[in-house]
Amino acid sequence: MSASTVTLTDLTRMLRESAGEEEGVDLDGDVLDVSFDELGYDSLAMLQVIGQVQREYGIRLPDETVADADTPRALLALINTSGQVPQTR
Amino acid sequence: MLCTVLRVVTRDLALPEQTSAGQAPVGGQGVDAALEAFGLTGSSTRTRTVVFLVTGDVPQPVHSGFEHVAVRTAESTVLALVLAHAALNGGGKDVALVLAAPDGPGPVRAHRVTLRAVAREDRPAPGTGPSHGPVADSARLLLWSGRRPGDETRTRARLRSVVDRMTDDMFRALPAVVPCGQGAGLVRAAAVCSLEDPAAALDTARAITAGTPRPVALLFPGQGSQHTAMACGLYRHEPVFTEAVDTVLDLMGDEGAAIRADWLTPNGPLIDIDDVRRAQPLLFAVDYALGKLVMSWGIRPTALLGHSAGELVAATFAGVVSLEDAVTMMRERVRHALSVPAGGMLAVAASAAHLRPYLVDEVAIAAVNATLQTMLAGPAAQLSAVEQRLRADGHTVVAVPATSPFHSPAMAPAADAVEREYTRIGLRSPRLALYSGYTGELMSDRDALSPRFWARQITDTVYFRPALDQLLAAEDMLLVEAGPRQTLTAFARRHPAVRSGASAVVPMLPARPGSPAADRRALLGTVARLWTEGHELDAAALSRLWSDGEDRAALLPLLEPGHR
Repeated sequence: MSASTVTLTDLTRMLRESAGEEEGVDLDGDVLDVSFDELGYDSLAMLQVIGQVQREYGIRLPDETVADADTPRALLALINTSGQVPQTR
Repeated sequence: MLCTVLRVVTRDLALPEQTSAGQAPVGGQGVDAALEAFGLTGSSTRTRTVVFLVTGDVPQPVHSGFEHVAVRTAESTVLALVLAHAALNGGGKDVALVLAAPDGPGPVRAHRVTLRAVAREDRPAPGTGPSHGPVADSARLLLWSGRRPGDETRTRARLRSVVDRMTDDMFRALPAVVPCGQGAGLVRAAAVCSLEDPAAALDTARAITAGTPRPVALLFPGQGSQHTAMACGLYRHEPVFTEAVDTVLDLMGDEGAAIRADWLTPNGPLIDIDDVRRAQPLLFAVDYALGKLVMSWGIRPTALLGHSAGELVAATFAGVVSLEDAVTMMRERVRHALSVPAGGMLAVAASAAHLRPYLVDEVAIAAVNATLQTMLAGPAAQLSAVEQRLRADGHTVVAVPATSPFHSPAMAPAADAVEREYTRIGLRSPRLALYSGYTGELMSDRDALSPRFWARQITDTVYFRPALDQLLAAEDMLLVEAGPRQTLTAFARRHPAVRSGASAVVPMLPARPGSPAADRRALLGTVARLWTEGHELDAAALSRLWSDGEDRAALLPLLEPGHR
C-alpha cells in the first residue's frame, strides 16, 4: 500500500462521491487550496471523506485529521505522509 | 496608559444642487452644509476644524475662501481618514470632516471624525467577551470600485500606496468598513485587511464586474446550529443587531434576562446552550437580529427559507406572524417539548431512502438536508440502538446536540398541545416568497394560516433540500445565511446550482465557535460579498459597525505613538 499515492484527482473523486454529487459539477477547478468550509464540506461530510480514503487505501488517519486538514492540499499531505500506516488485511 | 479613539459619524447631506456625477467637489455649498449639519458654526469652532474633500481620480485645486476653516483635498476616503487622524493627533485640530461626492446620482456623504483619549482601563480586557468598550479588532474592510476595469485597477494601486505608507496606528484609526473612492461603480472589489499585512488582501482581491445583482434570499438555521457565545461578538457592538436581540429577549420577560445572562457568561451558563430552553430562544434571537442587520444595510430579500425552528423566523420576516406572536409560538414549542421524554437526533451521511430500512418504533427521518445528509430523531434508547446498527454497517454518524426528539412521532403529544395554543395566534398570508421545509415548496396561504401546520412542524420531517431546490430553481439567488455556524451554507455550497456558480451563498458568522473578533471579521466578509455582487449598501448603516449604539459613532481604538 505504501507505494500508492493519493492524487488530487483521486481525492476530488472521493470528495464528490462522499457528498453524493453528480459528476460534471465543478469540483475540478483549482480547489487544492480552497478550504473545505468553502467547498461545503461540514464535519459529517469530512468524516465521510476520511472514512472513504481509509477504506479505499487501507490506511489509518489520525482522529485530528478533520480539524487539521482544512484544504485538499493539507489533507493530501496528511494522507501521503503521516497516513501511511498499513492496515492488516 | 492612554490610547486614543477615533469616532466617525456619517451623514448624507441634502444640497440644493447636487454635484454632477464623478465630480469632486462639493464646493463651498457642501462645506457649508457639512459644517452646519454637524453644528460647527461658531468662528472659534471653525478654526479648530479641518475639512477634507475627496477628489477621486482627478486632482482638484485646493478650495480657498472659506472663512476660518481649513480645506484640503485627498484622493480617497481612506487617505482622508488617515490625514484626518494626523491632523487631530497633534495637528491642532479638534474636528475633521471628510466629504465625498457620489459617483452617480445621490447625496454627498459627510463623515465627522473626532479623536478622544481614553484611559487604558476603558478598553476591553482580552477574552472577557462582549463589552461596551472600543474594538481592538485587527480587521478592516476596504470597499472600492470603478466604472471600468481600468478605473478599479488605478484605485487599487492608489490604495496600495496609501496602505504601504500606513502605520499600525493609522490602520487602527480606520473605521471597520472603509468605502474608498466616491461611489459605487460597476467593477467592484473588496478586501478584509489585517493589521499584520493589510496589503496582502488588497493584492489578492478579485475584481468582479457586477451586472444586475442576484436578489438575496435569507436562510435561517434551526436547532443544531447553536453554540456557546454564538454571535456574541456582534452584541453591543452593532446597534441594529443589539436592539433586535434585546427586543426578542425582552418579549420573554424574566426568562429573557436569564437567557441573556447564560448566553453572555464566560463562566459556564446555568442552563447549557444545547438545552432546548436555551438553543431555541437564542437561535431565534440571533437569526432574527442578523436578518434585521442585513436589511438595515439596504438589502431587501426576495425569498426566505428557514430550517426547522428557523422557519418561524422566516415567517416573521414574511409577515405571517408578528414578532411578538412568533416569540410566543417558539416559547410554547419549547414548553411542551420539555414534557416529552428525552430523545436525540443523529446526522448520517446517507440518503433518506437508504436509511428507511433502519427505522424502528418512533425513530424517524427528521430532516433531509443534502444528497447524502439525513437526520434521524427519536427517543433516546431507540435512537441509540439504531445508531449502533448504522455504525456496524459502516455508516458515518454524528450525534446532533439536541435533548428532544424533534421531527419524530415521539413529539406528537407536544404538537397537539401546541396546536391548541396556536389557535389564538393571528396568522396572515406570506408577503414574500416563503419556502417551507415541511412541504419542500413555496408556503401556500392555506398552510400559512393553519395553526395545525405550524404545530405539526415539531413532529414532521424537514425537507430542507427539496425546499432549497425549489428556491434555487425559481431564480438565481445570492443566499445569505442569517445564523451561526454555516450549517445551511455548507448544504448550499454542495448544491449543484451553487457549485455551477448560477447561485451563490455567503454566511454571516464563522463556521465554528471562535473569538468575538472572529464573529465581526466574518460579518465584514458578508458585507464584502454583498458589495462585490453589486448591491447598493447604505454607507451610513455600515459606519455603525462596530459602534455601540451610543451616538451612532464608530469607536476605534488607537494607541498613541510611544505608548504601545
